[in-house]
Amino acid sequence: MEEKRKTTAKKHTRTASNAYQVTKAMYARANEAKAQGGLVAWCMLGVSTEILEAFDIEPVYTENYAAVCAAKQTAGPLIEAAEAEGYSNLVCGYVRTGIGYCLRMQPDGRPPVGYEETSMAKPDLLLACSMVCDPRYKWYQSLQRYLDIPYFFYDVVAPPLDADREDPAVEENYVNYSLEGLRDMVAFLEKHTGKKLDRERLRKIIETTEATRRKRWECYEARKAVPCPMPTGDMLSCLTPGLFLASRPEATKFFEDLYDELQERIRDKVGVVPNEKYRLLWGGGLPPWHNMGIFTYFEEKDAVFVIETAYMPFEPYDVKVKSDDPLELMVRTAYARNTERNRRAMLGCGDVATQNLLDLIRDYKVDGMVMHGSKSCRATTIGQTYYQNMVAEHVKIPTLFIESDIVDTRDYAEADMKMKIDAFIETLAAAKRNNGN
Amino acid sequence: MPGNEQNSSGLTAVRAIYGNRAKVAARLKEQGRSIVGYFCAYAPNEILTAAGMAPFRIIGDMHEPITEADAYLETIMCPYIRSCFDLGVKGRYRFLDGLLVPHTCDTVERMYNIWRYYLKPQYAQFVNIPHKVRPSSQRFLKGELERFIKKAETWIGEPISEGRLREAIDLHNENRALLRELYDLRKPDPPLISGGEVLQTMIAAMSLPVQESSDLVRSVITEVKARGSGPEQRDARVLVYGPELDDTAFIDLVEDCGANVVADDMCIGSRHFTTDVSVTADPLDGLASRYMEGIPCPRTYKEQPEVGGHPVDLENRFSYLKDMVREFNVNGVIVSVIRFCDTHEMDVPDLLEYLEKYDIPALYIEHDYSMNTIGQLKTRVQAFLEMIG
Repeated sequence: MEEKRKTTAKKHTRTASNAYQVTKAMYARANEAKAQGGLVAWCMLGVSTEILEAFDIEPVYTENYAAVCAAKQTAGPLIEAAEAEGYSNLVCGYVRTGIGYCLRMQPDGRPPVGYEETSMAKPDLLLACSMVCDPRYKWYQSLQRYLDIPYFFYDVVAPPLDADREDPAVEENYVNYSLEGLRDMVAFLEKHTGKKLDRERLRKIIETTEATRRKRWECYEARKAVPCPMPTGDMLSCLTPGLFLASRPEATKFFEDLYDELQERIRDKVGVVPNEKYRLLWGGGLPPWHNMGIFTYFEEKDAVFVIETAYMPFEPYDVKVKSDDPLELMVRTAYARNTERNRRAMLGCGDVATQNLLDLIRDYKVDGMVMHGSKSCRATTIGQTYYQNMVAEHVKIPTLFIESDIVDTRDYAEADMKMKIDAFIETLAAAKRNNGN
Repeated sequence: MPGNEQNSSGLTAVRAIYGNRAKVAARLKEQGRSIVGYFCAYAPNEILTAAGMAPFRIIGDMHEPITEADAYLETIMCPYIRSCFDLGVKGRYRFLDGLLVPHTCDTVERMYNIWRYYLKPQYAQFVNIPHKVRPSSQRFLKGELERFIKKAETWIGEPISEGRLREAIDLHNENRALLRELYDLRKPDPPLISGGEVLQTMIAAMSLPVQESSDLVRSVITEVKARGSGPEQRDARVLVYGPELDDTAFIDLVEDCGANVVADDMCIGSRHFTTDVSVTADPLDGLASRYMEGIPCPRTYKEQPEVGGHPVDLENRFSYLKDMVREFNVNGVIVSVIRFCDTHEMDVPDLLEYLEKYDIPALYIEHDYSMNTIGQLKTRVQAFLEMIG
């Protein structure tokens, strides 16, 4: 019998091995809420999970769902449905998967046939923001063809790199606009839930997110150890508690458990592979969710991804922000932390993303960097060459550029990919020899 | 002389500028002008004019193979922007003193840091233009325009008064009105001016400081009205829709296949001048309003009702197109989208649905901003024109 090609990444930590259950439970909870007459919102990363929780709205993260389908090798039919509708094969793979899901949803709102095991509950509300990229708000605008439900979208803006973030006029303009976006979303949710926002409850939820954020950060810091106790493939399976449900106490507990496990592994010097020859940085782009086995392929060659920029949290700097208004607290805290990141980068190489890469290379003792360009994701692909060029001005580090897609398997050429990886491993070996290792 | 290129005016000057924009730049430099390159119809050029600087639209070159951009930019991205950057790296924009980048799409946004890093303009400004049309967005954009003015004042070492800004707004409004008057010459049957001539005029107009630009457009209008010979009458009257079409190759192909291209909905076409800046007590309010919601591009989002919203959303997004089809007596629309353009590609199914609803025949094509793909489209264009003619 032909062996089924393994496309998922081997998990090395106990916590990550169980993480998919958390993701499944998130979708199950939304379906359960729907069945009980509760409100379900389709939303995307960047839409405040805290505010949704304060309104008891169960979120369904459509980008994550596309990644889940890709990992299960079930995104293809949904993508094809969207393309048959007229969406280019270059439109974001998450978007095509999501639109295809709507197209194939059964008339009574049940999921498409074949997608029942882990499914997106039919939404009552659509919530989008422009954080990271433009297709996000266009996506839900397109969904209006299939779902006649209220849609709320808000802009997420950040000052450009060369703006003076500490100029009060600049700070107030950006903070006020962000705040108005959140206030508008709250008004929208108050209207549709019939409830007023409980600000005290929101404040407590924010504290939980903060606790999750800090513990998650500690787990990332723990991966600096040699050998690395947890690779990228494992950490990327923990996005549900890390991002989508970060406001829940069980998410904090998840990372507390993970942290304890990592400390055990560090103490016992348990790494990802018996002989960790090469420590790698996933330095750009989202992963190929349809073939996370690529990480295992690297591991078979004693190359371990010790850290990744994809979905990595930023250091939760202690910033002196006080406000009685929890919305203002969220906005000003985020602004202050980003200002601190900028400040540190300006003292360093002058670019925030490059400084992040340089810090990771140094702190995680990285031997090589891999950048993944996705054919359907402009936001995370454009600039990879630029960042690599800037990094090269400061440190010599072998870099591999690979191309495929986040969810579309048609853009993945396995033989070609493996050839490139094999050649890169030889480059890493040569670099080590040249450095006297 | 309008345009001042080779002491000519009208379409002769247009052709000279279209064929050699660098010559305009060289003259402006000799005259001591600072030239600021900009991407996109959302660039608030009024502020550049108020600062005494010359706005200069950055465009690509479909005839120039992209050979050097690969060392700096990914291949799986907008080929138009890759071309612009390739020209920059090759020195074709070395005359630019500054760079103005509005946040229009993800690709253009990312170009701000990349262009600055490699090509090192002396001046640079990024203007964050919100996507969503709302009072809060207008207030925010006003703040961004204030930030721009403050920066521009440091570039020129002097204040930009409200009076200077008003004057600049008037000049750009006048320019837009003249371009609308130029476009009116396309309404008769046959149109008095061809689609290719219009596109050349638009690009020439965007290569000149605003007063010279207006003088040039005025001279073209005068010449075209007076000349006896215009385009031949064709059965097919076509509107071309699409982002960043900056070369006449495609328009010429459509016209050679047997159409009059009588209207367009393009970034380097009507989107540049459809709406004026309103006169407001504070001129920045008028500017913010225009750039927030006055440009009919898919990157701008207008809210629709919460229930039954889709038909309203379609009208918000495309009714101007339906109006243009009627006003210019168009009998077919060619939707031409550059590959990797997320904002336009995502609009395509809704746009085609809308055109079908109003019985407006449409042809959808994708291209990768190269002369090769343009040539390959001939058969499809011919078939479409036969159908609508």
